[in-house]
Amino acid sequence: MELFFQQIVSGISIGAVYSLLAVGYALVYSVYNFTNWAFDAFMAFGAFMAFYAISLFFMPFWAAALISIVLTIVLSVGSERLAYRPLRLRKAPRLFMMISAMGANLMIVNLLNLIFGGSFRRFPVDAAKPFFIGNVSIGRMDLLAGAISFAILALLWWFLYRTKPGLGVRASSIDIMTASLMGVNNDAVAFIIFAVTGALSSVAGVFYGIKYAVFPYMGLVTIKAMIASIVGGLGSLPGAVVGSLILGVLETLVAGYISSTYRDLFSFLFLVIILLFFPNGLMGKSGDEKL
Amino acid sequence: MSTAILSLRDLTVDFGGVRAVNQVTLDIQPGELVGLIGPNGAGKTTVFNLITNSIQATSGDILFQGKSIRNKMPDAICRMGISRTFQNIRLFPQMSVYENVELALHNAPRYSILEAFVRTPRASRIEKETRQRAFELLEMVSLKDYVHEKAANLPYGLQRRLEMARAMAANPSLLLLDEPAAGMNEDECNDLIKLIRQIHTQMGYAIIMIEHHMNVVMDLCAGSRIYVLNLGSILAVGSPAEIQSNPDVIKAYLGERRNVR
Repeated sequence: MELFFQQIVSGISIGAVYSLLAVGYALVYSVYNFTNWAFDAFMAFGAFMAFYAISLFFMPFWAAALISIVLTIVLSVGSERLAYRPLRLRKAPRLFMMISAMGANLMIVNLLNLIFGGSFRRFPVDAAKPFFIGNVSIGRMDLLAGAISFAILALLWWFLYRTKPGLGVRASSIDIMTASLMGVNNDAVAFIIFAVTGALSSVAGVFYGIKYAVFPYMGLVTIKAMIASIVGGLGSLPGAVVGSLILGVLETLVAGYISSTYRDLFSFLFLVIILLFFPNGLMGKSGDEKL
Repeated sequence: MSTAILSLRDLTVDFGGVRAVNQVTLDIQPGELVGLIGPNGAGKTTVFNLITNSIQATSGDILFQGKSIRNKMPDAICRMGISRTFQNIRLFPQMSVYENVELALHNAPRYSILEAFVRTPRASRIEKETRQRAFELLEMVSLKDYVHEKAANLPYGLQRRLEMARAMAANPSLLLLDEPAAGMNEDECNDLIKLIRQIHTQMGYAIIMIEHHMNVVMDLCAGSRIYVLNLGSILAVGSPAEIQSNPDVIKAYLGERRNVR
């Protein structure tokens, strides 16, 4: 029974980290109808920045995380300016945006590999000391990752549903052309979305790096977030969170009770089964109710 | 320089090989209510799209309050004071009636996200004023009882009214109404005429109205002009009476008899 609770807690924690990425995918998809494959690279970039801030400059963890967030926002917004905005202004089909995103992804990941090398690095924070609640042990970093992820999601929700710029983002997700005719600045919305998603991917990268390792191809895990956001319903933010939590718990249960070798097999199987019964995902309403 | 609030100068747009709008020139004075009519496909909505720069003109110029707005982004044009409604309703269906209006209220003073988060007195006051303004507009179009309803749940006629409230929220000096009476019966048309007249006199906007219901156009434009567009060009300009008796207009609407003796 202890194992079960331990796995559940650990699953929720990793699910919360997935949900940061899944929400990032959903946010970009909801407004621009394309999947930002470059997330993968942003996440690895964020982890590397935090890693070197600590190991080279001996910064405290929180400062390193902050630096990583700021730099990843710069990268994310910069990639929007360079790779997406020119296409968007020419009203290019979304397939082109996706290809552009893949290009950005390949470039950034390979640059990371070239500059820093492909080795696996252990994140230099002490994550070992576990908490005990009864006999259930909980990793300190698991707890921190879960708590901070949920806090960030709550903040994002507040921003989207309680502020004027958030209203502009939501309107753009429904109909970007009409929103701009009503005075919503498309470029400002793009800035907000790519800044927010950059920050999300950086935080996810740092926590994922702590849990496993920091290496240039660590961003491959975003495929899990992709699964989660499809399961939840593409473009739906609550769906992305729910899908991520289910996926995180499912994975840790499979790893704990069956074998971690089959973890990914079950993730994809889960995706297939959900899509068989809910072609639009759990909370996707045929693409029109997005946020 | 003329005192016109909006001047179109030889405005032309080509879609591939089709000249959708051809050398349209017109002047609208501040506070005027003019009609824009013409058979289907004449290019009326395209003219609106050109004014708001949803589509780029091929040649010609658009002056708003004496300044060219041809290269401005649609959102900048909206904030400068041109707002519009749509032929096919384009509300934000999943958002509430209130949110639809709130979105377009740009003239409210701004406050930062930080102020909003800690809820400073200034932020609260501005929020309250914004709400009050939105309620006033919704009251004007008789939608005050539906504030928290989702826009998608409103019946058709009320959705049209909501579009009008949203357009007014942008505090325009020029309002573009694209077929406000589309799909309405005679009673609803009469209510609409009253509403548009009320908006016009109370708010003092200049209004350009595209409309197919002739009684609506003829009634509202009684003291001013109607432009008739046909195949992208201006066919006639004049008072409702002049337009109704203009043989070219009748020909454009009803077609020509093939074997005229």
